[in-house]
Amino acid sequence: MRTSAGAIAVAVVALFLGVLAVAQFRSQDVYSRSLQLETPASLTTLIASLSDRNNSLRDEIFDLRLRVESARDSVANGKGSLAESERQIAQLKVFAAQSAVRGPGISVRIDGQFDERALSDLVNELRNAGAEAIAANDQRIGPRTWFGPGPAGTISVDGVAVRGPWTLKALGATDVMYVAITRTGGIVGQFELIYPKTRFSVAKESTLDLAAPAAPR
Amino acid sequence: MTAIGAAGPGGAQRERLKHALALLLPATLFGFLVAAQWQGQQERSSLSVRYNAPLTDAAFALQGEQNTLKAQLQDLRKRLDDIQASATTQTGASSEQESRLLELKAKAGLTALAGDGVVIQLDDARGTSAGAKDLDKSICHSTDITDIVNTAWRGGAAAISVNDQRIVSSTSVYCVGSTIMVNGTLMSPPFNVLALGPQNQLLGAFDDPSQLRDIKQRRDVQGLGFRVTRATAIHIPAYDGALTVRHAIPR
Repeated sequence: MRTSAGAIAVAVVALFLGVLAVAQFRSQDVYSRSLQLETPASLTTLIASLSDRNNSLRDEIFDLRLRVESARDSVANGKGSLAESERQIAQLKVFAAQSAVRGPGISVRIDGQFDERALSDLVNELRNAGAEAIAANDQRIGPRTWFGPGPAGTISVDGVAVRGPWTLKALGATDVMYVAITRTGGIVGQFELIYPKTRFSVAKESTLDLAAPAAPR
Repeated sequence: MTAIGAAGPGGAQRERLKHALALLLPATLFGFLVAAQWQGQQERSSLSVRYNAPLTDAAFALQGEQNTLKAQLQDLRKRLDDIQASATTQTGASSEQESRLLELKAKAGLTALAGDGVVIQLDDARGTSAGAKDLDKSICHSTDITDIVNTAWRGGAAAISVNDQRIVSSTSVYCVGSTIMVNGTLMSPPFNVLALGPQNQLLGAFDDPSQLRDIKQRRDVQGLGFRVTRATAIHIPAYDGALTVRHAIPR
């Protein structure tokens, strides 16, 4: 009797042991991307980003409602919707990088060693900060622009060799972009560590002129 | 009774000791694991749970709100398109202007497209341990997605989407902690990048050994999921986000 009671006790303990070992392995060992496992700091940044994005959507919805009403009235009065079409064309020419543009923004000058992946990352960061139009030297960055290695001292932008020093011009909310690029731990700070001999300078610009793309894609 | 009697009182004690020792090791391990599990939960709960639960709820709520706002935006864009179409019919307005508008919408990524192309699948290595030495090399990063998109454009893609988010001129791929955002939309692996365009040219770009060296090396060494395949009749959705143009003025 004593022996079988002992065996049952051992079996029960072993069962729990197995269950706990699996639970422990799952909870601590396997990498997980669950949002619940993010740090409060990361979640706060995510929330700020989502809020900004939703505010932009709300602004556009508000604007579009007015435009729908205005276009409907215009059509009802027999005037057609020419004004609305012209407005859309002007907006899309900027959004799709199909025309020359002017406006405030920032310029980022890179003097020294740099490469195409870093340039792509910088463009991505500027877009994330809300850049509405970007050019690298005089080469306009479009929606389908790609970056590749070029001959010595150059970076290929859409197959065109762009020679350093490179100046990126980005039109948009000047202060927002400037802070996003130059903040502690931001992309320029990272570049300064990765390319210690390269000089990076960021400036706010009241007016920037960007040429139309040479061959719109 | 007979056996104990035969072994004597010393033998019975040894038997009890053997049973106790047999239970000692698993019982100790059991206790250790209970403690480790409890401690693990305590670590997560003490700092994270207090703040993470409401913060996570807020993030999910904002993502849900974003989806609703995007649907409203699409509806308004369609209503505006319908009004313009009826105006063109009524007034015989310039068909040149209408076709210019359609052309710009297509270039801006506001129209869905379907056709042949390639699918690029990117995923974290399976069973990656949270404490692994090369964890960074075993998981997908936002820069992997931008590198893949760059290669697809280079290979002649006409349109690209990442997990149903259309890549347009304002698209950024953003990483916060281990969460990735494309067009401001929360995403996690696996990532399906659809590239519509000339298949042979696209496959050639991805097969080029000088392209995506880092991703290919991590696939071979750490088991990162990365696969490029031909695909027919892929569907690339239209961009459904905001067209924010406030500062740039066309010249």
